[in-house]
Formats: sequence, C-alpha cells, structure tokens
Amino acid sequence: MQRQPASFTAFAWWVVYTIAAVWASKLVPGVDFLAPGMVLSMQERLGWRTFVLVCVWVLLLEGMGNMSFGYAILWYGLLALFYLVGQWLFEARSFLFMCLLGIGLGVLHPMLIYALFTLQGMHWPMDMVLWEGVTQAMVFPVVWLLAKRMFPKVLRQDDVYV
Amino acid sequence: MTKPKKIAAIIVAGLFVYLSLYTWNLRTGHLDALSSYTGLDIAGWVIKPGQWITHQVTGFWERYIYLVGLKQENDQLRKENSQLRFENLMLSDRAGSTERLERLLQFPPLSDWEVQGARIVAHRLGPASAMDTVVIDKGALSGLKEDMPVVSVDGVLGRILRTGAATSHVLLLSDANSRIAVMGEEHRSQGILFGQGKGESLRVEYINLNAAIEPGELMVTSGLAGIFPKGLPVARVTAVYRSDISLFLTVTATPLVDVNSLEEVLLLKRLPVPSAPVSGQGDANATAAG
Repeated sequence: MQRQPASFTAFAWWVVYTIAAVWASKLVPGVDFLAPGMVLSMQERLGWRTFVLVCVWVLLLEGMGNMSFGYAILWYGLLALFYLVGQWLFEARSFLFMCLLGIGLGVLHPMLIYALFTLQGMHWPMDMVLWEGVTQAMVFPVVWLLAKRMFPKVLRQDDVYV
Repeated sequence: MTKPKKIAAIIVAGLFVYLSLYTWNLRTGHLDALSSYTGLDIAGWVIKPGQWITHQVTGFWERYIYLVGLKQENDQLRKENSQLRFENLMLSDRAGSTERLERLLQFPPLSDWEVQGARIVAHRLGPASAMDTVVIDKGALSGLKEDMPVVSVDGVLGRILRTGAATSHVLLLSDANSRIAVMGEEHRSQGILFGQGKGESLRVEYINLNAAIEPGELMVTSGLAGIFPKGLPVARVTAVYRSDISLFLTVTATPLVDVNSLEEVLLLKRLPVPSAPVSGQGDANATAAG
C-alpha cells in the first residue's frame, strides 16, 4: 500500500530536481547540478532507480552539451567510482566527504575536456574550463546539502548499506 | 583470479568498451543524434515554458504599464527597422558588386536563400559544452540542418552545429574551432576568419603579404566554402601587422554581433535550385549550370 505513493513521490521529486538542475545549468554555464543528485540517490537507494536516473541524465547532459558523445559517461562513471572508493575511507554522508568529491569533480572537469578535445583535434578554452572546475568544486557540496535537506522523509533510507 | 586482477580486468574492459563506443560514434554520429533528439529536446522543453512566461510577464509590464501606445509603436518601428536593415544588408553587397557581376553574367546566378527567425533559448548548458555556442528554439522539424548559416541584422553569428527535433546548437564565430571564408568589402582580399574564444578578438589568416587591407575595413563572407551566401558582414578589421618572416599578414578583427544582448536570430536556408529544362530549349546559362 505504501509502495505506490512512495514511488510517485520519488518520481515527482526527481523530475522537479532535474528541471531545477537544467535551469541552474542555464544560469551557471559549465557546471553540473545533476551530479549532487546522483550521489544523493546512491546514498538513499543504490539500485535500479539510481541506474535509470543516471541513464536519463547521461542523455540530458550529452544533449545539452556541444561535444561529441562520451563526456557524461566518464563524468558520472568516475564520480560513482570516487564515491564508492571514498566511502571506505570517509563517512559517506559527511559534508567533508562531499567537499572532497566536489574538488575531485573540479579537477576532473578540465582533464576530461582536455582529453576529449585532444582526441578530436580541437582547441579547448583552458582558462574558462579551469574556472568552471573551480565553480563546480564550490557548487557541488552546497547543492548536495540543499538537496539532502529537501529530500522527502518518506523516501529516506538512513540505514542503507552501500 | 585475485581481487586486484579482477578489478584491473574490469577497468581495462570498461575502457575498451568506452573507446570502442566513442570511436564508433565519431564515425557514425548515432549517439550524438540520440542525445540531441532526447537530451537537447528535453532541455528545450524544460527551458522554453519558463522563458515564455518570463517574456510574457516582461512584455506585459513594458507594454501595458510603461508607456502603452508609445511602446507598441516603438516595437513596430524597431521590427520594421530590423527587417529593412537586414534587406539592406543583403542588397548592399549586390549593389556594390553589380559592375563585377555584369562581367560574369555567363555564370549561373547564386541560388536564393529563405530566411526564418528563431529565439535564443540558452547559451552554454552543462559541463559538456566547452565550445562557444547558443541554443535556439528550432530544430530538424523546422527544416534546420547542420552548417546552416545563422545571422542577425548586424551580421553573421555562426552556423548550426547540431540539431534536435525542436532545438539546436549554434556554433558562434568566436569559438576557437570556428572557421569562415571571408574577404574585405572594399579591397576584396580573401582570407579565413578564426575565432579565438569567447570575448576575444577574431583573427584573419592566409591573407597575402602584399594584399590590400586596412584597419576599419568590413570583412564579409566570400561564399567560397559554400556554407554562407556571399557578402554577409562578419567583422571589422582592427589591426593589420606585416611580418618579415611570414608569407601572410596578421589581421585582427572584432565581430559585428554582440551575442550577449541578442535574443533572436535569423536562419538562412538554401532553397532548392530549380531543375534545368529537359528539352533542348534551355538557355545557355541553364546548360552551363548543369
């Protein structure tokens, strides 16, 4: 009986989160506001829901972007790897760990752009991408904290084992 | 197999699959099309309603509260002014080149172009958008195709990079990967216009050392690459440097269009060339065109 309303709440919440993240991407170019949502989803329920969300977000990120397909898979794949490896060393839901993940993404962004532009023999705007990396590092933990605070209580799974 | 070996094998296999997919997509473009027809259009659907509401609210405020009649009249005059400036822009080069064209009448005339408007929905979106682009609210359903010229009433803006069903990316001429064949409006010296990044000046290369070109001269499209129609204004020359060790001039220029203050753009679609007469009654030009 409780499964249906919870599923609908989860669906509605993630749709609203995605819309807000797309608008935030319009206002702050070059920064991913969906990545904190992915970590939050992994913390709350690591399973098919996170997988579906990431698949949709990969298509969204690649479509919104203007490079050849490939950035988003590496971006979310490496973020998941950072998270899974990092939780062996840190408290998975701590703000400090999220700050470290943010720094990781901030460093990863210029590296991925450089690698993919080099593969296609194109010029990459180094200064702009470096600043985007700095912004990403600062934005990531703040967005994660806000999303965590707003996450519906009925969907929380505090004793989740990941 | 031990655990570290297993992890290493998974990483190597993952990398192999990723690079295979990446290379396959570079050759076929299937994944780019998939993401454009899903992700880009979804982003467009998300942004357009909000932007429409913003425009309506702003428009309501400006039209009905702030100087009602005067504002409407001003808007109408601005619209007419824009149309006239664009027509003037298209005609000015033709007028200037009439004498030259008269000598070239044996060649077939350039095919016509259809103009349609579009609204800028967003600039760069998300981290995978390191190129200097804008997103517009028209796509393949409106007949847009890759490499279609995008202009404003002030001059060339860029060309279509990728299309979704109802949304498209426009590569701006300021991007470091943009190249446009241009020539001086006055002295007709030809070169290639390179972007140097957002907010940076443009660079014109491959202009011969002894070619005539002056600061202040307007650079227009030469039409040589077959993407842009000939004669559209692109940039104005700011400086010309002559080097002792190069065969070419170093020319810098500033774009004519300020993208940051732009809300609407014009798309130029090449109309299909009418087919030549089947019988032997066709004129000399039609025969030459074939």
